Amino acid sequence: MGPLDFPWFTFVAWIVAVGCIAVSVIWAIFLYKPKDDEHE
Amino acid sequence: MNEAFIYGLVIILYLALLILIGLIMGRRTKNIEDFYIGGRQIGPWVTALSFVAAYFSSVVIIGGGGFGYMFGMSTLWIGAINVLLGCTICWIVLGPRVRRFTQRLNTMTIPGFFGKRYRSSFVVVFPALIIIIFMIFYNVSILKGMGHIFEVLMNIPYTYAILIAGIIILFYVTIGGYLAVVWTSFVQAWVMGLGLILLTIFSIKAIGGVSQANQALQSIDPGLINTPGVWGWPGLLSYALIVSFGVWGMPQLVVRFYSIKNLKVLRIGTVIATIGTCMALLPYFNGAIARALYPGLKNPDLAIPTLAKNVMSPLGSSIVLAAVVAAGMSTFASVLIILSSSMVHDTLIMGFKLNIPKKRVLLYSKISSLVIGLVSLIIAFKPPALVLTLTAFAWAVIASTTLWPLLFGLYWKRATRIGCIASMIGGCLTALLWMAIGKPFGIHGFIPGIAVGALLMIVLSLLTPRLPDAHIEKIWGRS
Repeated sequence: MGPLDFPWFTFVAWIVAVGCIAVSVIWAIFLYKPKDDEHE
Repeated sequence: MNEAFIYGLVIILYLALLILIGLIMGRRTKNIEDFYIGGRQIGPWVTALSFVAAYFSSVVIIGGGGFGYMFGMSTLWIGAINVLLGCTICWIVLGPRVRRFTQRLNTMTIPGFFGKRYRSSFVVVFPALIIIIFMIFYNVSILKGMGHIFEVLMNIPYTYAILIAGIIILFYVTIGGYLAVVWTSFVQAWVMGLGLILLTIFSIKAIGGVSQANQALQSIDPGLINTPGVWGWPGLLSYALIVSFGVWGMPQLVVRFYSIKNLKVLRIGTVIATIGTCMALLPYFNGAIARALYPGLKNPDLAIPTLAKNVMSPLGSSIVLAAVVAAGMSTFASVLIILSSSMVHDTLIMGFKLNIPKKRVLLYSKISSLVIGLVSLIIAFKPPALVLTLTAFAWAVIASTTLWPLLFGLYWKRATRIGCIASMIGGCLTALLWMAIGKPFGIHGFIPGIAVGALLMIVLSLLTPRLPDAHIEKIWGRS
């Protein structure tokens, strides 16, 4: 059993959701560089 | 104060706020670009949270609770895949290119983009008609869901409930267009988030903790906490994919990328939308808790209303009611704008080349959204069985028609008109037939629909002449 009596694989669903927030922050700050913003 | 009074007060205040937003935004809607895409001037918070609100309808909250009730904690994976595929990756992959390409091609709708990207009227009219037919059914199901919630929680007769909700939505959409839709959706997303978070806190408190919930479910059936558990992989995964990957082809959601202010704003929007979409896990989680607390419910769709009524105060459960209504209204309004643009802009102007004066387009769009909304409302009073059956097909059929032409249209220069037409027709028909023969192997029609659509797009694009280089260069820009 994983935390809070979730089976591990079921618990990973929560981790995926939180992990997505981290990925979106990393993408927004470090990875995505808008080149030709035509509406500025 | 009695329960009905508190419910009524919260809902009336909330509906009055929506009307006020409609009136304010009506003054800012000056032309057709404002009416369809808010003049491409929408900021990150409003874009992101209105995306979240349009994504989750009341059907998702109530139905999600029902799935959680029936299949237990494994359904948390549906919410997690919603966040991963339906939001974060969708925003990263589609967002920047949709924003850039649609501005270069000066298009305001998804079928409109297809028409200019693939240089064909057919690829405008065909998806527009599919959207019109199936989105009307989808809207009927949203109204129906809202009507039943009012009925259960407030004892308001179904007919009056959908009449009140329907007329208010029609008012603010017709007056304020897309600006009213996104701003009301922005408010509605906060209401949805608040309602779902409060419900989760009170549910956990009622059962004594998350561990207790899991133990109680395990004692009923260990499959209720394991993944894939009692549902099994084919059903769980194919459902999670349609409500996540399907987003990539749903016009009422993709249009958010058209309207965002600029590409820098889109970065912040991606983070906000991802955080907001995390609420997708909560209906499933609460549905599972409801199974542990009230194992004898005859109708799983009553899991969330029953939970709200029993574990919260009247004020708390009225906020949950407002959240469910908010989810339904925001989706209905978003779909209504898409239906109007599909009818007037895509079908009449781009498809049949009707020469409608610019000043008249805005008026006709408002009239068409009013008429389509009224038709949905009339059907929702007593929906025929066929309409309800076709509702279940809506996401699968629309996404199977539009997903690949959009994705390949943005990322593959070699994608051709014939490839697009074959993908649209093949994907749409496959999804329809698969659902009509009863979803063999428990697999949702979306899966074979997109499989056939992708294959046809790739093979026929490679077999047919590429589009002129000058045209491709215009879309992609000079590299």
